[in-house]
Amino acid sequence: MSEPRVHGIVLCGVGGQGVLSLAQIVLEALRRSGLFALQSEIHGMSQRGGSVHAQVCYAEVPLSSPIIDEGSADLLIALEPLEALRYVAMLRMNGHLVVAEEPQKDMDGYPPLADVYAALKAVRGAHLVDTEDLARRLHHRQAGGMVLLGLASTFLPVPNSTWREVIAQRFEPKGSLVTKRNLEAFEAGRGLATAPTGA
Amino acid sequence: MMEGTLALGAEAVGCAAFDAGIKGAFGYPGTPSTEGFEFVEAMIKAAPEGRVAQWAANEKVAYDLALGVSYAGHRTLVTMKHVGLNVALDAYANSALTGVRGGLVLLVADDPGMHSSQNEQDSRRLAEFAWLPCLEPSTVQECYDFTLRSFELSEALGVPVMVRLVTRLAHCRAALTRQPTLAPAGLGVVPRERVQEWVLIPSNARHRYVELLAKQPRMIRELVALNTLTAGTSRRGVALAGMGRAYFQQLALEHPALAALPRLELAAYPVDPALEAAFLAQVDEVYVFEEDYPVLEARLGLRGTCLVHGRLDGSIPRTGELTPRQLKDALGLAAEPGKAPSSLDLPLRAPRLCDGCGHLDAFDALQEALRGLGLSEARVFGDIGCYTLAAQEPMSAIHAVVEMGASISMAVGAALAGQVPAVAVIGDSTFGHSGLPALLTAVDSGANVTVLILDNRVVGMTGQQPSQALDRVERMVLGMGLPEAQVQVLLPLPSQLAANVQAVQDALRHPGPSVLVFRRECIQSLRRGVLKEHDRDEKARLEQACCSPEVQP
Repeated sequence: MSEPRVHGIVLCGVGGQGVLSLAQIVLEALRRSGLFALQSEIHGMSQRGGSVHAQVCYAEVPLSSPIIDEGSADLLIALEPLEALRYVAMLRMNGHLVVAEEPQKDMDGYPPLADVYAALKAVRGAHLVDTEDLARRLHHRQAGGMVLLGLASTFLPVPNSTWREVIAQRFEPKGSLVTKRNLEAFEAGRGLATAPTGA
Repeated sequence: MMEGTLALGAEAVGCAAFDAGIKGAFGYPGTPSTEGFEFVEAMIKAAPEGRVAQWAANEKVAYDLALGVSYAGHRTLVTMKHVGLNVALDAYANSALTGVRGGLVLLVADDPGMHSSQNEQDSRRLAEFAWLPCLEPSTVQECYDFTLRSFELSEALGVPVMVRLVTRLAHCRAALTRQPTLAPAGLGVVPRERVQEWVLIPSNARHRYVELLAKQPRMIRELVALNTLTAGTSRRGVALAGMGRAYFQQLALEHPALAALPRLELAAYPVDPALEAAFLAQVDEVYVFEEDYPVLEARLGLRGTCLVHGRLDGSIPRTGELTPRQLKDALGLAAEPGKAPSSLDLPLRAPRLCDGCGHLDAFDALQEALRGLGLSEARVFGDIGCYTLAAQEPMSAIHAVVEMGASISMAVGAALAGQVPAVAVIGDSTFGHSGLPALLTAVDSGANVTVLILDNRVVGMTGQQPSQALDRVERMVLGMGLPEAQVQVLLPLPSQLAANVQAVQDALRHPGPSVLVFRRECIQSLRRGVLKEHDRDEKARLEQACCSPEVQP
C-alpha cells in the first residue's frame, strides 16, 4: 500500500491582486470535490502592495499541516511574473506553473521583463498567459485571475461544474453580470489548456 | 451538526465563543488575532439577543471589559495579539488572583517569524508566569473544540483560560464542524459573600495567591486528557506541541516508520510532571518540535535524563517560524529535490503606503519643514501602524519604532535630555491606544516636543476597523490643557503642502509641546465605504441640531 500523497498548490502575486480570494475559491472547489483541504495565508502589512502568497494543500485523507515544503508543490499559480520566480523552487520536478505575463512594476529594481520571461520559459511545465490581451478580448479589465484559474483548473481533480458553482457563489453578491464575466474568463482560461509554453 | 463552515483558526475561536454562549466579545485589532474578534462580531450583529461585541481602546481595556462581564456572571471572550498581552498583562496576571465568575477565555495569537510584529515572544510563558491554564490547538477544528472546552475549564477552575494560536494556525483556513449554540445564561453577579475575592488589597491578595497556587494540581488534572503519551519501539522519541504536533502528524502519514517513535503530545499547560517522566523513561534521545520559544524543550532538558534536541542545541534554528522541512531535516528524512530556484536576482517587493495615502502628504510636509529649518538630520520617533512603512528607504522619515504609544514618550524623554527637535509621529488609533497618557505627561512636563497625529479615521493596517478616537482627536488634545494655538488640524493633500509645511515649522519653533493633527480618511476605508454610514448620520445630526427650533435663539 502506498502512503497517501499530499498535494500542494502555491498562489502568489502582489497585494491587492486577489491572491487570497483566488486561494479561497480553490480551497472550496477541492473541498466540494470530496477532498480534505487546508489553506494557509499571511495577511497584515504584506497586503500593502508587497509580495503576497497563499498555499492550499489537499489529500484524500485528513490533513493537519497547512504548509508544504520546497520542492513539493504540484502547481504554482502566479498573478505576476516576477513573483512567480520567487516560488519556482516550491514546485516538484514535474510540477506546473501557470503565470500571468502582465508585470506589476511599481517597485525598485524590477529586472528587464525579457529576462523575467526568459527565466520563466526555462522552467519546465510553465504556462505563460497573456492575461492583458485576454482581458482586452473579454472586455473585462480584471479577468486575469479567473483566466489563470481556468487554465490551472485543468491540473486539479475538480469537475468543471463544481468550479462553475463555486465561482458563481463567490461573485453572486456582486450581481449576475459580474458572475457571468468571471465565468467567461474562467472558461477562456480552460480553453488555453494545451502544451506548456516553457522549456 | 453544521458541518463544513470554512473558517480561519482565529475565526474558529470566535465561532466557538459564540456557540459557548458568550455575552460579550472584546479585543484590540492586531495581526494575526483580528479575525477572531471580527468573526464573532459578525455573528453577534446577525443575532444579538443581548450579546455585545466591542473593540476597545487597547488590550488592557479589552481585558478589563471582559473581566467585568465575567464579574456580572456571563461568559466572555477577549482577543489580542501576543504583544497586546504585554499591554493587558496587569489585568491578566491579577485576574488570576481574583479568578472569574462567568467563563473568561483569552484568545492570544503569537507571531513566530514576525510576519507582522516587532517580536516573537511566546505567550505560553506569560500563562505560566500568571499561573494560568493555556490550551494550544494545532488544527482549525481544535481551535473550535479547545475554545468550547476552555469555557468549561474556566468556570470549573474559576480562572481565565488562554487559547494560544500562532500565525500559521490563526491564518489556516479549513472546514469546521460546529456544536449547537448555547444562549447566554448568566450565573448572576459575584455574590456578596465572595466579593472579597475580587478586592485585591494585600490582605485579600495574599489569600488569593495561596488559593491560586493550591489550584495548580487541579488544573493539571483537568487538563490531563488533552496531553497524551503514545508508546513506540524506538529509544528515540518526539515531544510535540502546537504546530509541531500538526506537522509531525502529517509527516507520520507520509512516513509510517515514524510510528516507531514514542510520542509526547502536548495541547494544554500546565503539564503533568508524571507524564513527562513517563515519556522520558521510554527514550534516550528526544526531538522537541514546538512553535516559538523552547518552552517544552527547556523543561525536558532540565530533567537531564536524556539528550534533548531542538532550538537550544541548534537542531532547529533558534529563531523564526517552525517549518515541516525543519522536522524532516532534524529527523534525517530525505526531501525529494524539486525545481531549481530562479537564477535571476529578485529584488524584494516591500510593502509600501498606498498611492494617494494621506500619510505620504503628512511625511512630505514634515520632511520639507525640517529641511527648510536646516534640520534634515533630525531624528523622528515613530509608532505602530501603516505609517511605520515610512521608516524604509527612500523615505526614511522615522527613526525609531518600538511599541504602541512609544513615539510620544520617547520624544518627551529625548526633549527633556536636550534633543532638538524632538518629533513624534503617531496614528489616531495608536494615540487612543496608549498615546493619550503619554501626551498628558508631555503637556505636564512642558517638554519641547512636536507631535504629529496622523489621523486616517480608522485602524488602517489591520483592516480599517473604526478608530475609537474618531473625529475627536483635537478635542481630546485640548482637554489635556494644551493652548488652542498649539493644536492645529491640517489636511494632508499635495495642494496643502505649503500651508502644512508652515504649520509644522511653527510648531517646531514653539519652545513647548505642540500637536498637529493631519486628518484625511484612509483611502482603503474610503473605497470600501467603512465610515459612509457614520458620516451620513453625523451630517444629519448636525443639520438637525442647527435647524431644530429648540436650539434657535
